[in-house]
Amino acid sequence: MTERPLVRMTGIGKRFGGVQACRDIDLTIAAGEVHALLGENGAGKSTLINILSGVITDYDGTIEVDGRPVSFGGPVDAQRAGIATIHQELDLVAGLSIAENMFLGREPRTRLGGVDIRRMRRQAAEHLRTLGADLDPRRLVGSLRVGEQQLVEIGRALSLDARVLIMDEPTAALADAEVERLFETIKELRRAGVGIVYISHRMAELEVIADRATVLRNGGLAGTVDPRTASRDEIIQLMVGRSVDALFGEGRNEPGKVLLDVRNLAVTPRRPTPGRTEPAGVDLTVRTGEIVGLAGLMGAGRTELLETLFGAGGSGRRSGQMTIDGRPYGPHGPRAALARGVAFVPEDRRGAGLMLEHSVAENVVLSALATLTTLGVVRRQAVRRTVAEQLTALAVKAASPAVAAATLSGGNQQKVVFAKQLLTQPRLLLLDEPTRGVDIGAKAEIYRLLHRLADAGMAILLASSELPELLSLCDRVVVLHRGRTVATLPRASATQQAILAAANGDDAKETR
Amino acid sequence: MTPPNPTAVEEAPAGTPPPRRRPSLRLPRDRHALVDNFFRFQSLFGLVAVFLIAIAVSPVRNGENIFLSSGNLANIVRAVSEIGIIAVGMTFVILIGGIDLSVGAVLGLAAVGSATLMVDSGMGILPTVLIVLLIGTAFGATQGAIVARIGIQSFIVTLAGLQAARGIARMWSGGLGVPIAYGDGPKEAPEAFSLLSGSINGVLPVPAVLFIAIGIGALLVLRSTAFARHVYAIGGNEKAARLSGVPVRRVRITVFAISGLLAALAGIIHAGQLNQGSPNDGSGYELDAIAAVVIGGTSLAGGSGSMGGTIAGALLLGILNNILALNNIDANVQLVVKGLVIVAAAALQKLRPRIS
Amino acid sequence: MRYARRAVAVLALTVLATTTACSVEKAGDGNGGTDAAAECGSGKEFLIGMSQANNAEPYRQVMNDDVSNAAKDVPGFKVVVSDAAQDNSKQVADVENFISQGINLLIISPNEAKPLTAVVKKAYDQGIPVIVLDRKVEGDAYTAFIGGDNVAIGKAAGEYYAKTLLPQGGKVVEISGLPGSTPAAERAQGFREGVASNPQIQIVASQTAEWLREKGQSVMDAMLKANPDINAVYAHNDPMAEGAYLAAKAAGKESTIKFTGIDALPVPSGGIKAVEQGRLQATFQYPTGGREAIDMAKKILVDCQKDVPKTTTLGTTQITKDNAAQVYTQLGGKQ
Repeated sequence: MTERPLVRMTGIGKRFGGVQACRDIDLTIAAGEVHALLGENGAGKSTLINILSGVITDYDGTIEVDGRPVSFGGPVDAQRAGIATIHQELDLVAGLSIAENMFLGREPRTRLGGVDIRRMRRQAAEHLRTLGADLDPRRLVGSLRVGEQQLVEIGRALSLDARVLIMDEPTAALADAEVERLFETIKELRRAGVGIVYISHRMAELEVIADRATVLRNGGLAGTVDPRTASRDEIIQLMVGRSVDALFGEGRNEPGKVLLDVRNLAVTPRRPTPGRTEPAGVDLTVRTGEIVGLAGLMGAGRTELLETLFGAGGSGRRSGQMTIDGRPYGPHGPRAALARGVAFVPEDRRGAGLMLEHSVAENVVLSALATLTTLGVVRRQAVRRTVAEQLTALAVKAASPAVAAATLSGGNQQKVVFAKQLLTQPRLLLLDEPTRGVDIGAKAEIYRLLHRLADAGMAILLASSELPELLSLCDRVVVLHRGRTVATLPRASATQQAILAAANGDDAKETR
Repeated sequence: MTPPNPTAVEEAPAGTPPPRRRPSLRLPRDRHALVDNFFRFQSLFGLVAVFLIAIAVSPVRNGENIFLSSGNLANIVRAVSEIGIIAVGMTFVILIGGIDLSVGAVLGLAAVGSATLMVDSGMGILPTVLIVLLIGTAFGATQGAIVARIGIQSFIVTLAGLQAARGIARMWSGGLGVPIAYGDGPKEAPEAFSLLSGSINGVLPVPAVLFIAIGIGALLVLRSTAFARHVYAIGGNEKAARLSGVPVRRVRITVFAISGLLAALAGIIHAGQLNQGSPNDGSGYELDAIAAVVIGGTSLAGGSGSMGGTIAGALLLGILNNILALNNIDANVQLVVKGLVIVAAAALQKLRPRIS
Repeated sequence: MRYARRAVAVLALTVLATTTACSVEKAGDGNGGTDAAAECGSGKEFLIGMSQANNAEPYRQVMNDDVSNAAKDVPGFKVVVSDAAQDNSKQVADVENFISQGINLLIISPNEAKPLTAVVKKAYDQGIPVIVLDRKVEGDAYTAFIGGDNVAIGKAAGEYYAKTLLPQGGKVVEISGLPGSTPAAERAQGFREGVASNPQIQIVASQTAEWLREKGQSVMDAMLKANPDINAVYAHNDPMAEGAYLAAKAAGKESTIKFTGIDALPVPSGGIKAVEQGRLQATFQYPTGGREAIDMAKKILVDCQKDVPKTTTLGTTQITKDNAAQVYTQLGGKQ
């Protein structure tokens, strides 16, 4: 790292109307370095990488690549200069094959002008091999898991001879095993001299993978640290500008009686859907006032289990016993589940949680409209009051209840989904990755909220890919493997190693 | 502990949105509201604009502005009343992200039904109207059930429904228009049915009054009922709506039933206005109704739009037809002008700041 | 928001009040007779509204052309044409618009009789002379009707079949016009009267092709399957006959089957040319009445003639290969 950096950004500033998104930021990226970019939502990370990747073309300051000043007219210019970006929401075409996606828009040609499919496949296969991915380049991208799709994106970047790779929350959608693999790939790339800009909300990852971390706050530079040596508290303090109390909660009061009891639950789908793992022998209980975690690798069937419990799973024959309060429970649909006091916060809040173009207020009251109407007519006053109460209770930051849900930050969107489900006054709350894509401040608030709800007697079943989250938040962790319960670990015996071992299908120790 | 910057400019994922897509965020609040309101009531402004233009370009005879004469204005509303009533039902369907292509054919079926039941079966007005409305509702509900239960796109289901309704209408009428003669004798319809072609105090055509009344009714429903919130929710994000406990299937079926009901009502009015029920009537009306909805600013993707817009859109189309005819614009040129107006209305929607 | 709601409520109540409080009057009674007819006489300007049922039909396009061309020869006549595109409601609106514009005379070729009767009466009651072309309306609230006699044309065709085309008899299929339209019914009826003199002629099938060439083709396809031994096709118009010819040609039967049409339009795609080129055996002219309508309009508006004949029936001409070229020129057809 003695030679000059691949990229040097100096004095970068960008203003959107009245909002100063970036202010006087310096950033260098050296060859063979993993440079983490940290900051809460709104800190300026996206703006900065949009500038570097050529999406934003008018800004203050200078960018040098290999010591020469550059000025990108668009993303294509940045790519030519060797800067590739892997967005959080992957830019892949589901209906095309891996090879076609990798070479989209620059397909190799035959002499006759047709697409040279063989060459394309061969080159795609080479790139995939470099990444250690054992994938047939003919497979449709739509049939790949998210982690595999990410590898395709990285492969595309390699095929562009990228020397700088920007990765925006690459692990957000990955299970732990896949994260491991991604890190192996990143190490490969680093050895090959690629400079990597790595954006993540997950502290633990940075300690493992990053060489350097630049922290942004409110559009400005808050500091640069070595994540391998700096403490988490130190980094978080840089991000939020204040010192941090314990982010993760303590143990709480004793759980009450069993609310949800599931015995040997299995669903035989009428038509198997690729990529879905239906419950195939799930045992679990959730007591009032208890937070139970659901752990498992990608494809272990956590989401499918929660959907089944909410009556929103795929169609099929259900076997086994489910009871709520000792009475049989078998919801035909979300309505029936809500009627029994079961609420669900889905993983994909943009796709399944919110009507993004509709107002915050409309989103909040959707589930509870029945209680806010007289003879089918909505009582506007009551709605206004209820919305205001909920937004205050959950500390949702919105300019007004009338703004579209899409204008909110990820954390606040998640809180809106919570508010909507909590308005139904559930006794059992099912949560699927409730803190995905949520910045650390909002995360802490959500944790506190969950504790408060549990203390008030709500039963909570929470699926998460983040083991630290499960370990700190949950009274018990149920581990799924291929749709089956393979372990139930009480808080005392739950460790990362124990969960991972069980999740990988190793000898499961049944403890209770 | 909370993000200090609520007006976060970059909560959307990187790359996808070039920031200049959201200029509205940069506007001061009042100007923002102004812009937003302009787009919200776009069709209303369009209606007023077209109205003023029509006054300006209308031919004048004996010092009287022909366009503004009460007879002409009444004619305009009468002429759009059937399309307007259909468009009201279509608005519900489009709001849930669907489409109903069968309405023109259901109108024809209802017109045939009205004529046949009164003339051939000798039924009174009330049973006739009830039966025909029931047929329309059942037809729509069936289509809705197929869409909701089997999950076939509404475009296809109602395309099939269009064919089926035409076929049933032709079979029922023997392929011929069924003329309606009035009187008390056999093969004659009750005199009162012809009131549908009359006007109140000789000024307000009855179909126009029905259109306006239904339009206002639907406007109130869409503004203030839980049903309407469910309709918007399904159009906005069906999955989210389902997970929020919205009875998606039931709402779907209801929406298509409403569309069928209103198409049947338009068919009854059609029969009353033309003194005939012909199985070929109403062809292409579905496209005019969709045009009215689109001009009214309702998104074909569902989830956003208003009933006021649809009513304004229908009236705008009516005024446009009328003023072009009054100026003796060639029929073919009229078609082109109408096409341009539809595209212009849709283009204007695109300019609307996506996030209000 | 509350204000808006109240405003809507008031509006709704007003509508309701007017609905209940006011009497409902029947159509036509309302705008009682403002005399729209200008004084007749020469040297004046007259606006004539021509309400066409459907410009997309070549026959009606020729009718429009005949009206417009004839009107050019009358000083002071200005014709405006509207097209209802086969929609009764649209044609009602078209006539209403003409009335609003204050036309001096209405020429209407109605899409269907019953639905247009009321609006034609409305114009007539306001003193606007109304000349009804081709298709009648009901009652007698119009000034004059000019049209071909479809029964007579059908009968002429039938007699041609009985005596000339199939003197030995044979199997005939009929391709009829739009169900519910008068000409379709009359052309069918006349034909049956005409062929009655030859009991050897059997009408083995009758299907509608709604006046359309492409439907004529598909209907003929189907009928050929059901009746492979057809001798002749009687189509209610030339385009359907041409469509049927194409279907027969596809089946390799165009030389064994004889085709006749009706209309004989003097246009390159019309029946006269088809006869001349040998695809059709014969066609029977259905006069548009366009020129005659303008003649009559001139009598009413310029010559102040009060008693024009209520009904003018136009004759037909049988067109076979012998006279096709000559008739084409005579009717002013484009080469």
